[in-house]
Amino acid sequence: MNCQQFQEVLPYIIETGGKPEEEQHLETCASCAALVDELRYIAEQAKLLLPMYDPSPRVWNNIEQSLHREGLLLPEGRMSRLGHITKTPIQTKNWTPLGWAFALTAVIAFAAVLTNYRPRQLPQDQSLAQNIAADPATTMNGDDQQLISQLAQADPDARGVYENSLREVNSYISDAQQAAKQDPDDPAAREFLLEAYQQKEMLYQMATARSLP
Amino acid sequence: MNLFPTIVTAEARPRRRGRSRLLIAAAGATVALCAVAAQAAENRKEAKLEIAPGGNVTIVNNSGSVALRSAFGRQVLVAYTTHSDKIEVDQNSTADKQRIELRSHTLAGQKPTADEAKVDFEITVPPGVSVNVTTVSAPVTAEGLSGDLSLSSESGQISVHNVAKSHLHIRSMNAPVSLTGVTGTHVDIQSSGGAVHMSNVTGPRVAVGTTNGNIDYRGDCSGGGDYVLTTHSGEIDMWLPPSASVDLSARSRTGSVENEFPLEAKIHPTFPPAQGRSFAGTSNSGSSSVELQSFSGKIRVKKQ
Repeated sequence: MNCQQFQEVLPYIIETGGKPEEEQHLETCASCAALVDELRYIAEQAKLLLPMYDPSPRVWNNIEQSLHREGLLLPEGRMSRLGHITKTPIQTKNWTPLGWAFALTAVIAFAAVLTNYRPRQLPQDQSLAQNIAADPATTMNGDDQQLISQLAQADPDARGVYENSLREVNSYISDAQQAAKQDPDDPAAREFLLEAYQQKEMLYQMATARSLP
Repeated sequence: MNLFPTIVTAEARPRRRGRSRLLIAAAGATVALCAVAAQAAENRKEAKLEIAPGGNVTIVNNSGSVALRSAFGRQVLVAYTTHSDKIEVDQNSTADKQRIELRSHTLAGQKPTADEAKVDFEITVPPGVSVNVTTVSAPVTAEGLSGDLSLSSESGQISVHNVAKSHLHIRSMNAPVSLTGVTGTHVDIQSSGGAVHMSNVTGPRVAVGTTNGNIDYRGDCSGGGDYVLTTHSGEIDMWLPPSASVDLSARSRTGSVENEFPLEAKIHPTFPPAQGRSFAGTSNSGSSSVELQSFSGKIRVKKQ
């Protein structure tokens, strides 16, 4: 799992907890772990906002009495001028416009962090090391590993060369996928993706031809 | 004055002994050379194989070399040299003479060294015969062919010279690819890490794609074709003469672009121009379309 895939499922992780592979990514990726900590903090603070700014029933009573005095509220709870707003039981709950405003602000802040978050720019070496360690874009999936395994049986010397080439092309595919996602209407981004898959197809064909008896 | 002395003096004897030793050594060397030549002759084999017009020759050779040339006639001339007795070449020809296959392989139970496993092929093919070559480390050279060519190598350099009106399909993993004087040809090159060099290469479509191999092109992109050079992280260098008639666009998504070739800006570019990341324009009548695309590499266009 790479950072992008992790961030796509992040809202569910915050809500319901992560799966083992997501937890594994968190253990290896400092920037995603920091993001999760920040989001959890925001979520906790958002919960605290509502009761903190919820006025007491006395405030409600005072407002109600004032409205009665000014003739805006009828005894049965109807607004005299507007006539269509009724004081229903739901309005007696401890939710105020201020509280709603704070809750809404917290949700917007949460969403803004999620959409605008970019992993911190690590120094190049550190970034590279982290990518190699944790990013499947530069590692190999099950099919790749199977291919390499078969190839190594036929010719052990070829293993390293093919591993490097597959890592390179996986990185290409990952970049092209991101580009196509960011600019779905850009034909060049789609061409990159097609080209990247053609490169991988070529490697598979060469390796398969090699590993045949 | 005695010009032809018959009496051998005491001083002359050691000189004569030295001469005879020299003669013996020379004779020994000659015998050894003859033996080596005889051995080489044993390892070199030649054959003439009939092929139908438009037929196909397939060569599979892991290491050594493959050299292809063109010659008139209706025969494929095959010559190959094996570097040990641990390897052999299977030679198959179909009854209809449409297809010839040459495949080198290790003999069962043998474990040749890298040198022992080499086979050097020299093949001459008639015009119009298509050729497929697959190697691992053997370099492939094709000179003057007119049939379709499909060449594939992991690390052996692929060189193609003086090919006209053909289809050229090249696949390379890390092998450098060099094309010179390839005209009017459909060119399709896929290279993972090998650099691709092209000089005077033209055709209806010239497409090159690499993952991290560099691409360079020298020529005029003539013929009204589509020239598409794409790389992920490699660099693209293009040298164009002032006479080049191109409609050129260059984009690097996260890399950079440089242009020193005079281009007229396009009124309606197909993509929004980004300073340092892309440019587009036409030269002369813009008869050929040239697209240079790199994801993170650098693109340079210069005047030749």
